[in-house]
Amino acid sequence: MAEQVKINPVTLDIVKDSLIAVSNEIFYAFAQTSMSPIIYETLDYASGIADADGRLLTQGNGVTGFIGMISPMICAVVDKYGKENLHPGDVYIINDPFMGGGTHMSDVGMVMPIFYKDELIAFAGNKAHWSDIGGMAPGSFSTDATNMFQEGMCFSGTKLVDRGQLVEPVWDLMRSNMRYPQISQGDMWGQISSLRTGEKRVSELCDKYGVDVVKGSMERLIAQGEAVARKRLKEMPKGTWEMDEYMDDDGHGNPVHLQVKVTITDDEFLADFTGSDPQVIGCVNSGATAAYAGVKVVFMSVVGPELAVNDGVFAPLRTICEPGSVLQANRPAATSCYYESMIYVIDLVWRALAPAFPESLGAGHLLSVCTVLMAGKHQDFGNDYLIIEPTVGGWGACRGHDGQVGQFCVGDGETYNVPVEMAETRYGIRVDEHSLNTDGAGAGEFRGGSGAVRTYRSMNDNQTFTASFGRNKWPVWGAAGGKDGSINYFQFMDADGTVSPPTGIVARRVMNKNDVVRMVTATGGGYGDPLKRPAEKVAMDAKNEYITVAQAEEDYGVLLDPETFAVLGVTEARKNAQ
Amino acid sequence: MKVATDIGGTFTDLVAITETGDLILEKAHTTPPNFDQGVMDVLEKSGLDANSIDAFFHGTTTIINALTERKGAKTALITTKGFRDILELARGNRPDLFNLVFEKPEPFVPRYLRREVTERMSYKGDVITPLCEADIVKAVEYLKKEQVEAIAVCYINSYANEAHERQTVAKIKELWPEVYVCPSVDITKEWREYERTSTAVLNAYVMPVASSYINRLGQRLTDAGISGNRYIMQSNGGTTTFDQAKLTPINVVESGPVAGVFGASILGNLIGEPNIIAFDVGGTTAKCSLIDRGEVKVTTSYYIEKTERSAGYPIMAPVVDIVEIGNGGGSIAWIDEGGSLKVGPKSAGALPGPVAYGKGGMDPTTTDANLIAGRLSAKNFDMEVSLDQVRGALLEKVGSAFGIGAEEAAESIIRVADSNMNNALKLISVRRGYDPRDFAMVAFGGGGPMHGPTLAKELNIRKVIVPVAASVFSAWGMLMSDIRHDFIQTKILSFADAPMDTLNAMWREQMEEANALFAAEGIGPEQTMFRFIADMRYMGQEHTVQVSAPAYPWKEEDRSEILSRFHKTHEHFYTFSLPDTPAEIVNLHLVAYGQLTKPALQEIPAQAGDLSAARKETRRVFFSGDGWLDTPIYDRSKLGWGATAQGPLVVEEPTTVTVVCPGQTLSVDRYGNLIVETEVQ
Repeated sequence: MAEQVKINPVTLDIVKDSLIAVSNEIFYAFAQTSMSPIIYETLDYASGIADADGRLLTQGNGVTGFIGMISPMICAVVDKYGKENLHPGDVYIINDPFMGGGTHMSDVGMVMPIFYKDELIAFAGNKAHWSDIGGMAPGSFSTDATNMFQEGMCFSGTKLVDRGQLVEPVWDLMRSNMRYPQISQGDMWGQISSLRTGEKRVSELCDKYGVDVVKGSMERLIAQGEAVARKRLKEMPKGTWEMDEYMDDDGHGNPVHLQVKVTITDDEFLADFTGSDPQVIGCVNSGATAAYAGVKVVFMSVVGPELAVNDGVFAPLRTICEPGSVLQANRPAATSCYYESMIYVIDLVWRALAPAFPESLGAGHLLSVCTVLMAGKHQDFGNDYLIIEPTVGGWGACRGHDGQVGQFCVGDGETYNVPVEMAETRYGIRVDEHSLNTDGAGAGEFRGGSGAVRTYRSMNDNQTFTASFGRNKWPVWGAAGGKDGSINYFQFMDADGTVSPPTGIVARRVMNKNDVVRMVTATGGGYGDPLKRPAEKVAMDAKNEYITVAQAEEDYGVLLDPETFAVLGVTEARKNAQ
Repeated sequence: MKVATDIGGTFTDLVAITETGDLILEKAHTTPPNFDQGVMDVLEKSGLDANSIDAFFHGTTTIINALTERKGAKTALITTKGFRDILELARGNRPDLFNLVFEKPEPFVPRYLRREVTERMSYKGDVITPLCEADIVKAVEYLKKEQVEAIAVCYINSYANEAHERQTVAKIKELWPEVYVCPSVDITKEWREYERTSTAVLNAYVMPVASSYINRLGQRLTDAGISGNRYIMQSNGGTTTFDQAKLTPINVVESGPVAGVFGASILGNLIGEPNIIAFDVGGTTAKCSLIDRGEVKVTTSYYIEKTERSAGYPIMAPVVDIVEIGNGGGSIAWIDEGGSLKVGPKSAGALPGPVAYGKGGMDPTTTDANLIAGRLSAKNFDMEVSLDQVRGALLEKVGSAFGIGAEEAAESIIRVADSNMNNALKLISVRRGYDPRDFAMVAFGGGGPMHGPTLAKELNIRKVIVPVAASVFSAWGMLMSDIRHDFIQTKILSFADAPMDTLNAMWREQMEEANALFAAEGIGPEQTMFRFIADMRYMGQEHTVQVSAPAYPWKEEDRSEILSRFHKTHEHFYTFSLPDTPAEIVNLHLVAYGQLTKPALQEIPAQAGDLSAARKETRRVFFSGDGWLDTPIYDRSKLGWGATAQGPLVVEEPTTVTVVCPGQTLSVDRYGNLIVETEVQ
């Protein structure tokens, strides 16, 4: 600040709250107008406001995976053009996986500088998963991709709006290279108009309070975030925790080894992934930001999930990945399913720290997004349709309560499943079943949450089904003596009676009329010794058919009447465990 | 005479209007869990003649309490085979993004009480699998053994064809006449199976409670000699009869709060201000709602117990669109971990209450700040107030953190509370494409008139209206209400080629349903009025906008008019329209009113001479932006029609105060409403 005027701290707080309100406003406005189910149901997008240096002030998230990706995106644009070459009304488009904030190319970022009376004072940015951005497969991401050019068009911070005017040639090029230009046009304008709202609101705050007060409140926001995070870091257990695991598959049948060493000191939370596998031929590679975002998710959960997200909070956080590794791949690696490795990163750090943070971290969950892409023509209307959706499953139990059922994986968040009644109207499918996968896995003093079953019947010929269900070989992990959960898989039951073996990954498998695909997601891990689960709870579990009477005896040591579910007695093992 | 009673958290309010327009106000304590006692108490206290009551209106928290306190019935659910777990799977969303040990809301029906029946409709409403009666018989046997009290029925795609749900309910009633049973289509024919299932389940869950409450209250009214028509306020801003409320009690979930919003719309229309922002500040929350050209906004995206951290439970019933924040008179001021001053959402409640109440409250509240800021007077409290104690709490809990005194702490709390309320008011106005300059604010509840004029100035609202009986305004709103039923039918149709015959047949079916309901409620055709709303969107979008549509029957030439209204509405809310993109109809929404006679309002005497007789005192009062000013204090009961005065000033009445800022002008209209002009251009 040019002049060191003492500003009333309450005024700064009021402006700070207003900035957060602006961030919420631009977040929700976008979902309301979007034409992509992945945006308005999955909420696979994020928006945020950063200061003039690109430091994140406040972010609205629909999914956890986008945490802190707005800021690197802004910095990449500033690095490319220089602040002095940015103008009021400009919007830049960026989806390059190998630039700041890059994920996969389906996630389209936009950045807008905010000026007040010719002074650059802030940025607004957002990032959203578009239904299609070109490339070899409908929906642009495919489990069999081997390089980025198969995955759609790449924008490396291209100017899309110049001083308020759409750069028509850019849009013209885009339109000619996408499968659903009408949908993408809607999403593009939704993103631009939400950035413009952000610009307008920040200017209004400057009008009302003065630009120095607004800048002061930005400083306060980041300083407070950092102070709280550092204070909580000091209260955390200190030490080093290590974990390593194999990801099932890179899309071409090869397992991928990942490892982490987490070190917490008074001043730093460091996650080092050195030693993880080099980048792979399949599409589970990620650029530099994904692993960092993954660590941020677990960091938030232990430092305080209620804290507002800003760059101050992340000040004590550091991540190390080796260039050329699967977690920091080089151009032109395929990255369609980058999020699977990002979630393995989350799972790895989560599992490493779980014993040290029993209040914040329980047993493992389904882990995978369990993405489904289905494309074809509607049987009644003949229109092209495209399903892109994640699948719900079971979460792990934790100290104090059973695992949750029917939830999306940690990489998602305020994500909604598509109602059966909408799916049947919009897509060429009928849903034969949507229920819990009560396989009884995840036994524990606290029981893992059941996975889910979702069965789609193809209502037309020549529809294609693509899916990536991670954690399809090694089951979900239990904790503190709880048993492991189960795995994710799907299988086809064709109209001619052929039943395919369970699998986890497939690309563009053709489904004809009355072919059925049954998708099953994992039950979460158990927490604590199952023999210590109270017998009445075990009886209710059996009555509710989450477990069988046989499992009650085998896993929990409780003997039940198969008709009334009354407790008849306990096994020797249970007696000995008490 | 018409009487309204409204049960609130602390008090049960009564407002009555006599044939000559006289207003009678009374309050008695709310008496949980037997809320009807409080109603009888307030009736008795008012001394009204039972024989003269020809219409009795009622707002009740019984339903919402039964839900939030989990005091409903043992409830079962019957679903389509393959979909037993829809209620437990819910939508899979996790608002508490970074909390990895979150717990989702527990279903109201445990798994063993969710039974499947073989049947299936297609999305078009064709029968794919016929209804299996044997499954129903089996389910009923099981549920009898489990001694459930209520059963909800919700089948996949029943919104498109209700036959199987209706047949199932008939079969259950035949097998088990005593059990309460609710098909989802009794509440809504909107799509989204989880939301509709949740709605049916919650309705079934409260049916027994509602029946016994309504029966008991009805009996006691009869015993007291009150024989007039009886109505219950619904969440949609209209009323229904006692009998209908027993069948669809979930429609009564937001009974009280919406009545105030509805009252604001009526008052606005009476005084020529059809664009209204209703602003209601009570003990624990502030609520606001926007009324566009006389129409209260209704939504079916309503949830209970939904927070920033919890997905809550959806209720797909029409509810007046209200934004509520945890900022009321009892909201506690505190310093967060980062050193920022916060107000609410935690409230000191009725007990211990603000520090000023002297009932052991140690945490300073908005009320305490308003007291120290001179906006409230200790003389106006029911109890002895220790100002030293209040100052001490302000200093200790807020002042010390910033190195400021008690008075400055009070100023800060008021500013933060105003800012919170300001953000809520912006949410319903500016952020939805409305210019506040086109609106007048009706400020009510204990705290609305105190904060309203300041906020109006901030938001550029021209005028603030503080109604007579501002603190019991919800009950007043009930007296002015009509019977209202909403019928919503989902049908996805491309608008350009949707046959008008199909659309008109849908309207006709809804109108027939409405007329049948009205006939049962004793409402004649001359009292009936319909409003037609089309929920529309661009092809590919999910969210719809409500388009106010021409009356039935739609003619071919209406098509372009409806389409142009849709584009305009979309542009209004979202700043853009896509004229080349095809539009879809998602729902047809019929609003059916059974109009009731309204009491006349009485005029107050004209102001005689200047205001000196009404002037109680002059004291120092804090105003945001203007600081501490010597401010005249007036007694509302002594102000006549036509009285005017310049701010700064304060008008006191027993249950609220109106704080008029410098530069604002106060006048009193013929009905006794205080009108504050804010000088906004």
